[in-house]
Amino acid sequence: MSDVSETGAAQAGGTDRKKLLEVKNLRTYFDVEGKTAKAVDGVSFHVFANEVFGIVGESGSGKSVTSLSIMRLIPDPPGRIEGGEIWFNGTNLLDMSYAEMRKIRGNEISMIFQEPMTALNPVFTIGFQLKEAIRHHRKGLTKAEVTDRAEEMLTLVGIPDARRRLKNYPHEFSGGMRQRAMIAMALALEPRLLIADEPTTALDVTIQAQILELMLSVREKTGDASILLITHDLAVVAETCDRVAVMYGGKVQEISDVKRLFAEPLHPYTQGLLTSLPRPDKERRKRLQTIPGIVPSIMNMPPGCKFAERCPLRESRCDTIEPELVEVRPDRFARCHLVEPEGVADAQEAQA
Amino acid sequence: MSAANVENDASAGDVLLEAENLKIHYPIHGGVFLKRIGEVKAVDGVSFTINAGETLGLVGESGCGKTTVGKGIMRLIEATDGHIWFTRRTGERVDLVPLGRKAMRPIRSEIQMIYQDPYSSLNPRWSVGDIVAEPLTVHFPDMKRKERDEKVAWLLEKVGLTGEQAHRYPHEFSGGQRQRVGIARALSTNPRLVISDEPVSALDVSIQAQVVNLMQELQEEFGLTYLFIAHDLSIVEHISHRIAVMYLGNMVEIGPARDLYDNPVHPYTRALLSAVPLPDPSLKRPDRIVLQGEPPSPLAKPSGCPFRTRCPLAEAACAEEIPVLTEVAPGHHVACPVVLR
Ligand SMILES: Nc1ncnc2c1ncn2[C@@H]1O[C@H](COP(=O)(O)OP(=O)(O)OP(=O)(O)O)[C@@H](O)[C@H]1O
Ligand SMILES: Nc1ncnc2c1ncn2[C@@H]1O[C@H](COP(=O)(O)OP(=O)(O)OP(=O)(O)O)[C@@H](O)[C@H]1O
Ligand SMILES: [Mg+2]
Ligand SMILES: [Mg+2]
Repeated sequence: MSDVSETGAAQAGGTDRKKLLEVKNLRTYFDVEGKTAKAVDGVSFHVFANEVFGIVGESGSGKSVTSLSIMRLIPDPPGRIEGGEIWFNGTNLLDMSYAEMRKIRGNEISMIFQEPMTALNPVFTIGFQLKEAIRHHRKGLTKAEVTDRAEEMLTLVGIPDARRRLKNYPHEFSGGMRQRAMIAMALALEPRLLIADEPTTALDVTIQAQILELMLSVREKTGDASILLITHDLAVVAETCDRVAVMYGGKVQEISDVKRLFAEPLHPYTQGLLTSLPRPDKERRKRLQTIPGIVPSIMNMPPGCKFAERCPLRESRCDTIEPELVEVRPDRFARCHLVEPEGVADAQEAQA
Repeated sequence: MSAANVENDASAGDVLLEAENLKIHYPIHGGVFLKRIGEVKAVDGVSFTINAGETLGLVGESGCGKTTVGKGIMRLIEATDGHIWFTRRTGERVDLVPLGRKAMRPIRSEIQMIYQDPYSSLNPRWSVGDIVAEPLTVHFPDMKRKERDEKVAWLLEKVGLTGEQAHRYPHEFSGGQRQRVGIARALSTNPRLVISDEPVSALDVSIQAQVVNLMQELQEEFGLTYLFIAHDLSIVEHISHRIAVMYLGNMVEIGPARDLYDNPVHPYTRALLSAVPLPDPSLKRPDRIVLQGEPPSPLAKPSGCPFRTRCPLAEAACAEEIPVLTEVAPGHHVACPVVLR
């Protein structure tokens, strides 16, 4: 395997921006009822330093499993990371010992989980848990300074009366407030990489806007931090992300910068997603376009393209030969036999 | 006339349902003897109408009382005060609030509900056919078995499933298919009003549009009237003729969909709409209004205007009285004396 930064430069089409995270051919499988569920099956992408990178896709397409694999938090059994590499800042996280990984999780990568109760311990107060995170990250603060900082963090995520709220237990918070407490904990660590898995789905649009703005502003403050944002809300992606990966059936189907993805989606699944959105400029009450059919079962994935069954462009080769993720426009990648490369020297494979 | 043409003259249609100063309060019990220690004013004096053949969208923050309004109309919860006038198929106008169980039963076949969660709202031990047939057995006990089976098969085909699938069980269906089963069930008794509570929120991105389209087709075919409750403001805008906005148990604004989205008047509606992310990276929102704090607990509602604790326009006088809805444009009503001054 070649040096990370070298492949990086090649792939980014000459730009030599630093890659903070690079996932290569990640495969994470689960053993379910004597069968193998290939939840993540050959996922590759990278996140530059100082970038907001989004992952969108169908429910069950492997978004959360990808992020849990990066954190090395896949429950084993029934899960296992079957293969691949996860390069973070020059080291492969999959080679790390448990203790080394714990350090990375505390200091450099932190995660906001889809389900807040997985991150909060029900027997400790919110304040205790938040202060733990602050003390861990900034050694040498006095007790009073730690409390002040905890109050400041809770206030920042929009929880009023924060000083008193520090004394509450997680069950005394509403769902949206728990989510915000967890966001406060993740941000208190001032991570280089923040992984946010559906951070706003339990929240109302008004509070959702507050939180997204907060995440972005904290990033600006800390300088070169990156965010990996997982969501099924394409509008959130349009507003917050720089680049995005679209997943379907355990695989990345398309990677692009957000502007060009929305202007000209290349993969038929991405096209279907975008046209089925109600848009403010569309005629009201006209029929929405739909993607017919349903997602194939993870236990029973077709051998060819995972989207073929529902694809309007399907040809016979799509059922038998799985396409590779290749560069089809400068810095844009798609996994589809029918997307003709344009403006790229060689239709080279994205990642080995 | 098909319902598709209703958009412009929906307000001219006959009133199918009218809620008048509806209040629904939940008692809170506590202490050793579970004495009544307070109440949640989930719906606190709400008035609106729904015209025959139209879709009224109902939006607002989580916990503002949308589901409670729906359940109140279904009479799944007792109203504390107020009236719910419903025009029956026979043309008779009845107040549902004082009706007892027995008097309510024949009316119930005319009002049906589609539930939020397609995964838990279907009984897993019943075949899909039994699930769809159940309202028929309840409301039309004299219907012949053969006739019922035919109706079930017909309904399943209407929602894009096959009659043969009547023998299968919910776990064999995808989320979108299950939601279709819920819709077939709601339509089985030929209802006039269908209350749909977040019918697409739990569905896959690619399936949501399928279900929304189906609901619109069925509305046109059968002249259905919908109360459409949802979080996703872009879907509400897409499907509704008129939209009502609730905040903490009160209605703050109601009006024709286009008018309300293009010219929101109430400060809460403005904040709500400005926070909706746009699915287009070339359109950044310069106008986003970020509200501070979060909604107060409905256990301790502020006096006067419920929104005043987060409102950028709040004045001392806002603490005194709950603002009433005032017409600002044809059919467009707003409850905020400050913006109207
Ligand atoms: N602990 C587990 N045991 C067995 N299968 C699992 C486990 N965790 C995840 N899976 C399976 O892996 C697949 C991918 O799941 P994942 O949670 O990554 O989906 P997702 O893309 O995050 O979906 P969503 O949008 O619904 O959150 C799913 O089919 C899921 O059932
Ligand atoms: N059975 C109940 N007992 C006591 N309080 C209740 C009960 N059901 C609902 N509430 C309260 O009534 C208020 C309104 O709840 P409701 O479910 O109508 O909200 P909603 O607008 O549908 O919210 P969401 O968008 O989250 O579904 C909330 O404060 C809720 O906690
Ligand atoms: Mg997930
Ligand atoms: Mg509800």
